[in-house]
Amino acid sequence: MQTGSRADKTGPRKRGNRTGFWFFEMFIRISGLRGAYGFLYFVCLYYLIFDRHAVSSALPYINRRFPDSGMLTRNFHAYRLFISQGRQLVDRLAAIVSKKQLFDIKLNGYDKLMALFQKSDKGVILLTSHFGNWQIALTSLNKLGKRVYLLMREEENPAVKESLNVGNEKGDIRIISPEQAFGGVIEIMNVLKKGHVVSIMGDRNYGAKAFKIDFLGEKAFFPFSAFAIAAAAECPVVILIAAKDSAYSYTVDVTNILVPCCKSSGKRNEQLIPWVQEYANILEKYIQKYPYQCFLFHDIWKN
Amino acid sequence: MESKEKNLAEIRKLLKELLVENLSLEDIRPEDIKDDEVLFGDGLGLDSLDAVEIVVLLQRNFGLEVKDMKQGREIFYSVDTLARYIYVNKKTT
Repeated sequence: MQTGSRADKTGPRKRGNRTGFWFFEMFIRISGLRGAYGFLYFVCLYYLIFDRHAVSSALPYINRRFPDSGMLTRNFHAYRLFISQGRQLVDRLAAIVSKKQLFDIKLNGYDKLMALFQKSDKGVILLTSHFGNWQIALTSLNKLGKRVYLLMREEENPAVKESLNVGNEKGDIRIISPEQAFGGVIEIMNVLKKGHVVSIMGDRNYGAKAFKIDFLGEKAFFPFSAFAIAAAAECPVVILIAAKDSAYSYTVDVTNILVPCCKSSGKRNEQLIPWVQEYANILEKYIQKYPYQCFLFHDIWKN
Repeated sequence: MESKEKNLAEIRKLLKELLVENLSLEDIRPEDIKDDEVLFGDGLGLDSLDAVEIVVLLQRNFGLEVKDMKQGREIFYSVDTLARYIYVNKKTT
């Protein structure tokens, strides 16, 4: 189920192939979104029964979000998570297949974001999460009229790359690879200075330095690079959360804006902990509301 | 020629102080950093977040920008390469 679009190179095996995407495309063309969603129940059941690695990847999250669950209930939660993620991937595929605006996207915080751009020439860091559908969310930002740079590795699964247009996003979206020298930070600093938007994943460290942060009742490892870059570039961090409300509607929230800063004395990185904790708290709030839209298929509670 | 070397030595000294101050290098004094010591990876062990601080340090203290990754790789090699870049390009100190 994981597309691995921003996945760890050493992470779980890639799922999804051309035939699978072809079937989903046919369902979308013939019976619309709901037909494709129906097909998902069977596909996800297959993953639940035969792909135990997929289930075990979801368990660290399920165990924290639903701590009182027994074995059967945990599997039920995994099944619902798979279906929920599948729906959001189908939505992305449907948006590409139909070539039109299929979804009603409500953008909360647009005015706040525009005011931010008007106040300063500097760019912003858009902090995304393994929650909801950040790809759909990015399309809603087209109206900002800003170029968006995504910090992401190249998608390794060719079927996913072709079918979901990963790395080939429409609009004024560019990619910065973290695999280049210095993790792409020189390019990030330059584009922020020019007033562009840089999108960085905030909830998995992919080997980068991380802090132990309270999250879903335990200490989890959250990366702080986005906050360190923002503090150095003196630009804000805008937390982007995109939740699916119904089959054809999403709510994208950009109302949470953090402005991290460091004093020149003392351990600079550790000064960022309150901001990382605040981000984790915001994410947790959404997870409480939409428990099946958190796609953290990785044990972030284990270093 | 003598003046160039003197200027470079001054920049190297200042850079080492700025690196220790801005990168929170624990238990390292400016004089512990060798002029030709590799800054990233095996040498001084700096990482990508330290590169962010060096970019800012160059902007704030010398009014200099690092335009791209290729240029960054050459400039950020050691204190000496940083100092030479500053010497050739500096606008303000």
